Amino acid sequence: MRRAWVVCRHALGQLLAGRRLVVTVLLSAIPLLAPALLFSFQGDSDPVDFSLGLFRNLVLPFLLPVVSLAFATAALGSEVRDGTATNLLLKPISRAAILAAEFAAAAAATLVVLLPLLVVSQAIAGSFDATSLLLGTLAATTVGALAYCALGVALSLFIGRALAVGLVYVVLWEGALVSVAPSASSLAVRGYAEGVLAAITAHDGPTVATRLGPLSSTVLAAVVTLLALALASRRLARMDIR
Amino acid sequence: MSQTATAPVVELRHFSKWYGDVVAVADLSFELRPGVTGLLGPNGAGKTTTLKAITGLLQPSQGEVLLFGRPLAGDPMLYRAIGVVPDGDRLYPRLTVRSYARLHADLQGLEQPATAADQAIAQVGMEALAGRRLGGLSKGERQRAKVAGAIVHQPSLLILDEPMTGMDPGQRARFIELVRALGQAGVTVLVSSHILGEVERLASQILVLVSGRLAASGDFHAIRDLMADQPRTVVVQADGARELAAGLIAMPTTVAVEVDGDRMQARTRSVQAFATELPRLARAQGVSLREVRTTDESLEQVFRYLVGRR
Repeated sequence: MRRAWVVCRHALGQLLAGRRLVVTVLLSAIPLLAPALLFSFQGDSDPVDFSLGLFRNLVLPFLLPVVSLAFATAALGSEVRDGTATNLLLKPISRAAILAAEFAAAAAATLVVLLPLLVVSQAIAGSFDATSLLLGTLAATTVGALAYCALGVALSLFIGRALAVGLVYVVLWEGALVSVAPSASSLAVRGYAEGVLAAITAHDGPTVATRLGPLSSTVLAAVVTLLALALASRRLARMDIR
Repeated sequence: MSQTATAPVVELRHFSKWYGDVVAVADLSFELRPGVTGLLGPNGAGKTTTLKAITGLLQPSQGEVLLFGRPLAGDPMLYRAIGVVPDGDRLYPRLTVRSYARLHADLQGLEQPATAADQAIAQVGMEALAGRRLGGLSKGERQRAKVAGAIVHQPSLLILDEPMTGMDPGQRARFIELVRALGQAGVTVLVSSHILGEVERLASQILVLVSGRLAASGDFHAIRDLMADQPRTVVVQADGARELAAGLIAMPTTVAVEVDGDRMQARTRSVQAFATELPRLARAQGVSLREVRTTDESLEQVFRYLVGRR
């Protein structure tokens, strides 16, 4: 356990070191905070509706998958490819524990970037008092980040251009296909995140129409996350490190 | 890691590794015991594949690799006794030498990782560079940092893949001293190289790999003597090559001579005897020599010869 924590801490340090953190924060902050600032000056509609719209139209379809996949594919797959993973793999730690630690680091890096920006964005827009919306967006982001990171880590162990393939899935499947065939959302991380958001805002927050119910969203998100991690673990245990 | 005095630390039994149709290593069997062993072979001979199989980075296509009598697969705790310096530049450029060694100590779960890291850094003579980032070091310095990471937990088996790449002569001398000391202290060290002289200074026992097969193994000097018997080709450009050839073919060490115009190609068992006799003959016959050179001095040729002898 102690060794796995060392791997996680080290991986998090590598992911957040140098320009990657600055670039990711800037690319996430500008589209998230600039509209909130403009809205705070104009203020001609309901801030809760504005924050919900910003989250559903910008964070869920774009920022969350891009940031998650960027960190996840950089975590283990790129280390395996450039050979630095040997520093970890040649140690008394099971490959499954290394994989879990790298996944945790990628998810933590994603949340470190996105969660504070969400809070600040809603504070600027004036919807901070809508507690259920804030909690819902934070929980949905967390569930989505875990699922996307698991998929990203797994993809990066199977193919070389994992980030590109992951983004193609996000654009084609979660974007285009789900819009014409809503049943496809049962195989879309975005659908699970929206389900979680809807469940938390159901009582005293804005109404969020989703195809998946709260229970099925949570269960499917957990299944996809665990399945991706199991596949990645099996792959890492059997793969040759050249 | 307890073991009997005679039990091999590393044992390969009919190990083979192939990628599709390409056979990297074929039917390799050997045992390693405490002390320094050199793994010698030209580039592409299968050295790195063999070392990666021993360290568990590659799965055998066929055969078995045992460390301390056990297969490494599924038993990561064996890595507590193993230190590895892999090939290539597999480092984190933003880490300092000290933090890199500390990372290895932490990953090994050592009780006093900071002290162990400092000791390893001192062993490779990098105290003055301990605070420097790995990305800013020379190749030789980065190699030494890798060695520090590999020995931080005082392993009983040390695997070194081309460890002296990029080191200057002073760094090499110090490194050789360190490896010899580890061997004398009972550590099993396997060090690969494609440079004969490098291995000669490091190890008394060698394994020679050629084209994925074990071409020779045993005492370094005995194998070198075997190599020295190989006939070598000498090319001579001279005005009177045909006259020279008649004199050279009479030498007992000459195997064959071919003449083509003013160019002569001779095969000799003793380059030294050839080099002594050639100028004497040329002077006696009034022939001027324009070029004298050996064509097959490369290690690869010597290895091919060894394979042919088997």
